[in-house]
Amino acid sequence: MPDTYFYRYDDFDRTLVAERVEQFRDQVRRRLAGELTEEQFKPLRLTNGLYLQLHAYMLRIAIPYGTLASRQLRKLAEISRKYDRGYGHFTTRQNLQLNWIRLEDAPDALAALAEVDMHAMQTSGNCIRNVTADHYAGAAVDEIEDPRIWCEIVRQWSTLHPEFSFLPRKFKIAITGSPNDRAAVRVHDIGLRLWKNEAGEVGFEVIVGGGLGRTPMIGKTLREFLPRDELLAYLEATLRVYNRYGRRDNLYKARIKILVHEIGAEKMREEVEAEYLSIRDSALRLPAETIEAIAHQFAPPVLPERPMISGRVEAERLSNADFALWLKSNVAPHRVKGYAIVTASLKPAGSPPGDASAAQMEGVADIADAFSQSELRVSHEQNLIFPHVAIDDLPQVYKSLAALGFAEANIGKITDIIACPGLDYCALANARSIPVAQRISTHFAGLARQHDIGDLKIKISGCINACGHHHVGHIGILGVDKNGVELYQLSLGGDVDFGKTAIGTILGPAVTADKVVEAVDSLVATYLDNRQDNERFVDTYRRLGAKPFKERVYAAV
Amino acid sequence: MAKNLSGDLQVASANRLADGIVVWLDDAGQWTDRLEHAAIARDPRSAEILLERARAESFTVVEPYLVAVAEDEQGALEPLSLREKIRASGLTFEAIAAEAVRYA
Repeated sequence: MPDTYFYRYDDFDRTLVAERVEQFRDQVRRRLAGELTEEQFKPLRLTNGLYLQLHAYMLRIAIPYGTLASRQLRKLAEISRKYDRGYGHFTTRQNLQLNWIRLEDAPDALAALAEVDMHAMQTSGNCIRNVTADHYAGAAVDEIEDPRIWCEIVRQWSTLHPEFSFLPRKFKIAITGSPNDRAAVRVHDIGLRLWKNEAGEVGFEVIVGGGLGRTPMIGKTLREFLPRDELLAYLEATLRVYNRYGRRDNLYKARIKILVHEIGAEKMREEVEAEYLSIRDSALRLPAETIEAIAHQFAPPVLPERPMISGRVEAERLSNADFALWLKSNVAPHRVKGYAIVTASLKPAGSPPGDASAAQMEGVADIADAFSQSELRVSHEQNLIFPHVAIDDLPQVYKSLAALGFAEANIGKITDIIACPGLDYCALANARSIPVAQRISTHFAGLARQHDIGDLKIKISGCINACGHHHVGHIGILGVDKNGVELYQLSLGGDVDFGKTAIGTILGPAVTADKVVEAVDSLVATYLDNRQDNERFVDTYRRLGAKPFKERVYAAV
Repeated sequence: MAKNLSGDLQVASANRLADGIVVWLDDAGQWTDRLEHAAIARDPRSAEILLERARAESFTVVEPYLVAVAEDEQGALEPLSLREKIRASGLTFEAIAAEAVRYA
């Protein structure tokens, strides 16, 4: 099977990761032998992505910019079966979390990951985390340039960067190469958007100071257009300014968004530009050959053009209503004629969003080998993507996914819910997320109704840290703990679409757990009663405001 | 069933070092994965002593702390907070099995 369209570890990478595994093996041995206290060991295990959650250790594995080869997914399945309970959770940062890892097995799990050029470094701590990207990267019809080239350059620059290993807080970068933002770049510490200027040159819009969490902010554009070869100098300058002025006295005010908010975008720009000017012509300027060499690793697969119309697809469409809906919601246009991008829904009705068993991961890897050049992507919306599927193969891909339980025709619909692990797993959570998502998706399970409701993004977080991105959900749901009781705060109108990025507005008093489904049902009913033409839920909300939604919800609950 | 919900009753809990699973300190000073075997402190002074014992026995566990519990007439224990209830009884939904391909 081809495996040529990915980042490739060189000897430096392999040595670094192998040494890190052995270093951690020794640290674990010393901890188990009592030679290290928990206070001494905790930062060491977190540096290797190993958290201690409510019930067990959790290993957060970095999936670089959400790009996976089938052999890597197969290895993740093997690791989950051998060292965990045989399933994993794909996260909103395109990573995979294994929830039941034993400390004594963690070094072996990391060694197994290294076999397929993966690791868990920089998935915790106040460093630059795994860079995220558009999950249609390398295939999207609207793509100006593959963002993974730049993700990989940022990955190489930021991995164990000595100056940025102890920032005031964690730091998240997202990159999109398309005008339709599928990477939520305006709600990251730094968002980068590739675009083409009037002269036909491709460069970056640099957006700084976005983020969700306790204080949600939409990022500010510091640079409208940055030449590509100056990317690392500009990033380094931004990180230096943050490292210098970011607050270390208050955990809740330590993210770069607070710095940008406090000093203002203009002052931030001045500081960054001054620093940038001093380093722009340093070794950080990317030579054309370096960019080309990395771009070569992400060269698109050779896909001979094929007919856009397939007799097999048309026959299946006419005979299978669910397949017809799946074509509408789970299949996106590809930039090569005769191909499509397919999203496998990890949100079957009533299931934990983003979870996949080892057998399912292996099944998905098999489908990728047979139909998608052995390539996969993980989306921040917690689904898996086959980027290069021939249109004529769609019926077979659908059937194979249906056998895995991943063919739900619900992408972008009300049951395609983002949810964090919540209080069932997470040591930081105040309330459960997954059971709430399960109840909503069970309630709205009918596909015809979901498609009638149309595009509607529900995002659920179990605490204010907002791993479930509730601030930018069309309907956001935040779990809170009030005197030991789980309550859920609803917000409306959040969005990450480019040009429409918005933080949702809280609707009113939080509702009890048993009223969440009823409340969502009331919101949907209000929309259906009031929508005009092809308005989406969020469009109707924007036109009418909160009042009719609020009245109906609080009359019902 | 009548329960003592005063919050006066406490047990010592931690996560086991080797695998992270939830454990409680029993009367013999051993860490057990069964809440019903946990040693109960029934007043603030006993709770202080229990926590000291837990810390002294913390070689094989991570960061022991006290958990408020209720006790019914049969002596069954239940943590008061939802977080501790979930720690004691596990996930509140059914997780998928390794070989599951259809779990909806």
